[in-house]
Amino acid sequence: MTEALQHFLISWTSPTLIALAAAGTFAGIYIGAIPGLSVTMAVSILISFTFKWEVNEALVLMAGIYLGGVYGGARSAILLNIPGAPAAVATALDGYPLAQRGEAGAALGLTTVMSVIGGFVGILALALAAPVVAEFALRFSPRDYLMLAIWGILLVGSLSGGSLAKGIFGGALGVLVASVGLDPLTAEPRLTFGSVQLTAGISYIAAMIGLFGVAEILMQLHRLDRAAVRQQVDRIIPPWPLVRRHLPLSLRTSAIGVGVGALPGAGGDIAALIAYDHARRSVKSPSRPFGQGAYEGVIAPETANNAAVGGAYVPMMTLGIPGDAVTAVIIGAMSIHGLKPGPMLMIETPHLFWFTVGSLALANVFLLVFGLSGIRVFTRVVQTPKPILLPLILVLSVVGAYAIHHRVTDVYWMLGFGVLGYVLRRHGYPVAPIILGMILGPLMDRSYRQAMLSAQEDPLIFASEFLTSPLSALILAALVFTVLRQTGWYRRLLARRRGRSASG
Amino acid sequence: MSPPSRRPPGERVFAALMLLLSAFLLWQAFGISGLQSSTSAGAFPMAAAATMLVCAMVIAVQAAGARDDGSAAEHGARPGGLPHEAQRTVPPVVPATVGAVAAYMLALEPLGFLPSSLVFLVGMTRLLGERRLRRNLLVSVLALGVIHLVFTTVFAVALPGGALWQGLGRGTGG
Repeated sequence: MTEALQHFLISWTSPTLIALAAAGTFAGIYIGAIPGLSVTMAVSILISFTFKWEVNEALVLMAGIYLGGVYGGARSAILLNIPGAPAAVATALDGYPLAQRGEAGAALGLTTVMSVIGGFVGILALALAAPVVAEFALRFSPRDYLMLAIWGILLVGSLSGGSLAKGIFGGALGVLVASVGLDPLTAEPRLTFGSVQLTAGISYIAAMIGLFGVAEILMQLHRLDRAAVRQQVDRIIPPWPLVRRHLPLSLRTSAIGVGVGALPGAGGDIAALIAYDHARRSVKSPSRPFGQGAYEGVIAPETANNAAVGGAYVPMMTLGIPGDAVTAVIIGAMSIHGLKPGPMLMIETPHLFWFTVGSLALANVFLLVFGLSGIRVFTRVVQTPKPILLPLILVLSVVGAYAIHHRVTDVYWMLGFGVLGYVLRRHGYPVAPIILGMILGPLMDRSYRQAMLSAQEDPLIFASEFLTSPLSALILAALVFTVLRQTGWYRRLLARRRGRSASG
Repeated sequence: MSPPSRRPPGERVFAALMLLLSAFLLWQAFGISGLQSSTSAGAFPMAAAATMLVCAMVIAVQAAGARDDGSAAEHGARPGGLPHEAQRTVPPVVPATVGAVAAYMLALEPLGFLPSSLVFLVGMTRLLGERRLRRNLLVSVLALGVIHLVFTTVFAVALPGGALWQGLGRGTGG
């Protein structure tokens, strides 16, 4: 135990490591906040910088960027209605209405404190429950992954727009876009239309910048004449009673974040959406109706996605399976340093595990410091006149898309997806499911084929396994419930029950 | 969000277009490996395209009957939905912006990052209604300098240097 504490405190006692944690967290906040710059991209580029460094220094920097980046996405979601990262998609639903009311300062302050609380819950879970959670996650079969991914897309589809059909349409479109290129298993070309360039596939970062960055700017061109809302940022540190009032919700959503984050493949983005859905259903009297600037609608996704960071480290450290895209890159960074994350890492090098826990905790402390102090400068960005701000975001989007592979082709894709997103949004189609479909598509495809192969390609056996395995049946039930909840049938049932309880 | 204005212009046409797109993609997905096996490369894309097609049909039916169907109004009143964003017409500034970005993209490699971005920034800022040219130039140059510095030093992104200038330099040098 004292040994664990010793390793935990390594990063807290070395000035170099403290400075790196601070720099990483600070950079992470801005990388996460600037649309078009993703944490995944920053961490991947940093691998080439840091592979000559000591492994501890590299790990501290990446932990800071990861935690800061997950939080930073909320800033642009609240201030610009552009989620800086997929994990902040749900935050924009209530965060942007708050900014439109001029309450961006209060919203960001509360978001920061809640993110830090969520982050600590995640780190605590990583430290205490890692073996237990890992054992549970081990029981997931490919068909469970498949259903979890579908469930994630359904949740986004039903949350971010009016029509579930339009949401599912977008998710399926994203899956198709992700399948463009060579099939990873058989190397057959898929949907390449005979083009050699398309065999490399379509970069989802370019699509994300297009769908969220460019499409949003095109939508904003409709409202050029509208003046920017003056933001109230006098009081950023939220009053203690406000924090205390929302503490029960934030602890519940942190737990959701840890659980979802620990699921391989499902990271902060899905955690945030499930938490938002949970808040919408469980909070009886929100500060305002959801979607119009409810504090609860900002707290739930932000606690969950920061808690998911600790959660995502669990399968990475214990199984060697990334919890999300960023941990996938971190696994790559660790293997460059000669470390092989997996069950043996915990046994052979426990000091590395405790060091990681300590670095995450340190980064979380810096998150509180930078989160509460940088808002005033950041809020100025919103008050910049749109004729100056919008072209700058366009340049950043173009550079961001170009930076992925140093290819102008990615910039073409970005503009194409921007126009597509604009047209779809004008017709009431949510764009978030498209991105989720693109990110989860390969996982779904692989899981489906593994599940089908293990059922000897017999559709009957394949289908029956969904019901005979208790875990699969549970996830299936959640999935069916999500769809049913969107239908008129369920709403009528609910109304009838309400009528009965009122009369009885 | 009253029911009559809920349907943006051209919704039926758009729903039909999406139906056609789904059918086309299903046909393309079928072309990957046909129906030879349930785990072939084309199986999952076909499932996704079929899902799109079914959804497009539902959307088309909803669009066709949106006005007289009472449930559509109930649907529109869902909390948490997007704000009503559809407007009657596309303002000319939208296609102009798309054109400007396209031109910027095409100029990026031949002209290089700094010249093409400067022209794009100054032009776009003017297009969007900023009339003070000096302020426009100053802000554009400053912002570009910061972006260039951060991307080249911190992120080590090799921004396009401009094939045209390199060609000219080689031409005069050689």
